[in-house]
Amino acid sequence: MSARDELKEMARGFRWGRRPLVPRSAEPFMEEREDEGFPTDWARSPAGVFARQAILQGFMHPLVKGELSLRVYGLDRLRDVRGPVIFYSNHSSHLDATLIMCTLPDRFQRTTAVGAARDYFFDVWWRQAFTALVYAAFPIDRGKGGQGAIDKARELVRDGWSIVVFPEGTRSSDGHLQRFRHGAARLALELEVPCVPIAIVGAFQAMPKGKWWPRRGRPVVTLRYGDAIEAVPGETHRSLSVRMQDAVAELFDEDRTSWWDAIGRADRGETPSLAGPAGSPWRRTWEGTRPVARRGEPKAWS
Amino acid sequence: MPRPGFVLEVDERTPPLIVHEGEGYRMQRFPLGTRVVYPPDPLPGLRDLSGRIGRALLEPTGDAKPLPELLFAGMKLTIAVDDISVPLPPMQLPDVRQRVLEQVIELAARAGVDDLEIVIATALHRRMTPEEIRRMVGERVYRSFWPDRLYNFDAEDKDGLAYIGQTDMDEDVEIMKRAAESDLIVYVNINLVAMDGGHKSVAIGLASYKSLRHHHNVHTMLDSKSYMDPRPGHSAINDSTIRMGRLLAANGVKVFQIETTLNSRTFPSQLGFLNEREWEWSVKDQGLMMAAKKANDLAPPRVRREFYRRIEGSYQVTGVHAGEVEAVHERTLANLHRQQLVEVEGQADVLVMGIPYLGPYNVNSILNPILVHCLGLGYLFNMYRNVPLVREGGVAILYHPVPWEFHTIHHPSYVDFFEEVLADTTEPKEIEERYEERYATDPWYAHLYRTSNAYHGVHPFYMWYWGAHGRDHCGSVIFVGGEPKTVARLGYRRADSLRDALEMAKDTVGSTPKITYFHAPPIMIADVR
Repeated sequence: MSARDELKEMARGFRWGRRPLVPRSAEPFMEEREDEGFPTDWARSPAGVFARQAILQGFMHPLVKGELSLRVYGLDRLRDVRGPVIFYSNHSSHLDATLIMCTLPDRFQRTTAVGAARDYFFDVWWRQAFTALVYAAFPIDRGKGGQGAIDKARELVRDGWSIVVFPEGTRSSDGHLQRFRHGAARLALELEVPCVPIAIVGAFQAMPKGKWWPRRGRPVVTLRYGDAIEAVPGETHRSLSVRMQDAVAELFDEDRTSWWDAIGRADRGETPSLAGPAGSPWRRTWEGTRPVARRGEPKAWS
Repeated sequence: MPRPGFVLEVDERTPPLIVHEGEGYRMQRFPLGTRVVYPPDPLPGLRDLSGRIGRALLEPTGDAKPLPELLFAGMKLTIAVDDISVPLPPMQLPDVRQRVLEQVIELAARAGVDDLEIVIATALHRRMTPEEIRRMVGERVYRSFWPDRLYNFDAEDKDGLAYIGQTDMDEDVEIMKRAAESDLIVYVNINLVAMDGGHKSVAIGLASYKSLRHHHNVHTMLDSKSYMDPRPGHSAINDSTIRMGRLLAANGVKVFQIETTLNSRTFPSQLGFLNEREWEWSVKDQGLMMAAKKANDLAPPRVRREFYRRIEGSYQVTGVHAGEVEAVHERTLANLHRQQLVEVEGQADVLVMGIPYLGPYNVNSILNPILVHCLGLGYLFNMYRNVPLVREGGVAILYHPVPWEFHTIHHPSYVDFFEEVLADTTEPKEIEERYEERYATDPWYAHLYRTSNAYHGVHPFYMWYWGAHGRDHCGSVIFVGGEPKTVARLGYRRADSLRDALEMAKDTVGSTPKITYFHAPPIMIADVR
């Protein structure tokens, strides 16, 4: 076998550049290894911040605008918000973190870090480096309580950094909102920081789970920032978590109708649920993949 | 708690697996569904080895007194030590034999023992060189005893042998005279595999051809299923040595046995990836493997051999037991099984084995074609309990280049065995009947054995018999990458690749055979159910 063939065989067999996999029959015999993790602090140094803003503003934002019909609303609601804060949103696409980081006002963009799943974003070196640099990311262990991530988030907030989290824990597979986990609410209560809701509409249709690039045709994606939510004295994490979820639903409602209509419905407790239709799973997927209308643009055919 | 060994089933996620092939290795993709037997992780080493050795000598196992009580002024004390054939590869210094020897000699010195000699229990193996002995026993022992009181056993020194008698199966027992006449033999052993140690230490290590031929013969070898299963009735060779050992004891030969076991850290940290499971290799391990492989492939043969010769295992000692032979050996085996036993469900149609660069008889030497046969079909094939990994009539596929190459100083009789005997026949029984006696009593081979560093004239016969059971059991033996004329001389077939070998095996096992790859080294024993 030539050296080139050997190299190709190794690259294929050991999945270079991709997530390493364990043979199924070996999984029960894998031992928990102490993972010291990929260092990410360098990405939050002044040089890291400079490089990140250059990438986000000089490359990522133009790229996103070129591939998507991006609309951003509600940034004015951040005007009076003093950092650090917890930004959170619904999560249905890998575009979500990019869209948030690209559209944040400059003062937040400099000092915001994204919580990213360790098993996906911190598996191979190049993805680790990319995630740390572009998103100032810190790893979160999904499904393991994530004490390390909570400690890191606590440290970041105390250092004046805002963080981006996705309380659903993972991307929605049908485009609808999943149950919020309480980690973000607990953190907000503990650190006494406000939470800023963001509704991301259309990201699932543009680039659902399993896709790595937005579909063609510049699909419409809307980001709608909401008013910061602060915990009231004596509030439990469950109650705060419910309020956080409601805030996102209200933003979706606002996007679908108008601000005035949405607050009216919210006041009456009639905000439409984002859980999707009941019944067979296909119904949820069917609804979740319904194209987002290009409101405000002239139609080619009428 | 270290992880146990296990059987991997190759799926689409399985990376290429490392397969040893002499002084090199290859990354091999196996067909989906192939079962791969992996050894357990290394057991932790003893923390206080010196303390453990001391306790073993003072609190012996079985019906034995503490060593200090067995030592007295004016006594004749012989210490016998396992030779260079264990461990494989040689362990990083200090060798555990040195650690044990120093404590035993210290006790003897305190007891006022003057007549103390240390013998390397080589049996019919080659004499170890002074440098090899120095490395093994340490500078202090070497300087104090070499060469008059520290030497290699000589099984051809007629005046130095004592005939003890016959067992109830009419087996002659003849061992070193000095040992037989000593007030006490202290045997210092390293138990690398299950057939080492126990009565084998003295009854084989210090025995002559007259004694050894009763169990090192085709009949006994074929009846040993397997050598690595020393339970009564499973290994005829082991049963024979037990009979001999008991005869020695009945004739007043007193043995204080010290057995040690090692974990499976076979390769040093620089080659640590060879100790690991492939899917757990880090990027560094993968890079190291490729760099080492490329350097190895490009290196001139002499450089390559020198590189392998210098490999030292980073073993740690997992157990030290001392006292009465059988009681000690029972504990040693339990310890060994803890490290080496892997449960395997059922037999395969095809057994794949990679033959490494080193066996017991080519330390600092060359793994010649006969030793390749012995290491593959004698040692690796027999690393099982209950039934072999491959069914009767199945196919053994072995990886080794099998070069036509011999070490003429270490293996002179091997050259003639290969050129004369194997050119005539490869049938073990016929070889035994027609040729063994002549080689065993040839004065030139005996001279080289006694004065040079040559294996005994009969040794290549034993190596051929050693693989007799594996050869007899398998319907076909195929060497992947083997040199055509050498493999043909051995009576086997060769293929360029695993795919070709499986194609050739179709005639015997069909087109969808059950394949098992025995992923050794590190050494393990498959407990086949």
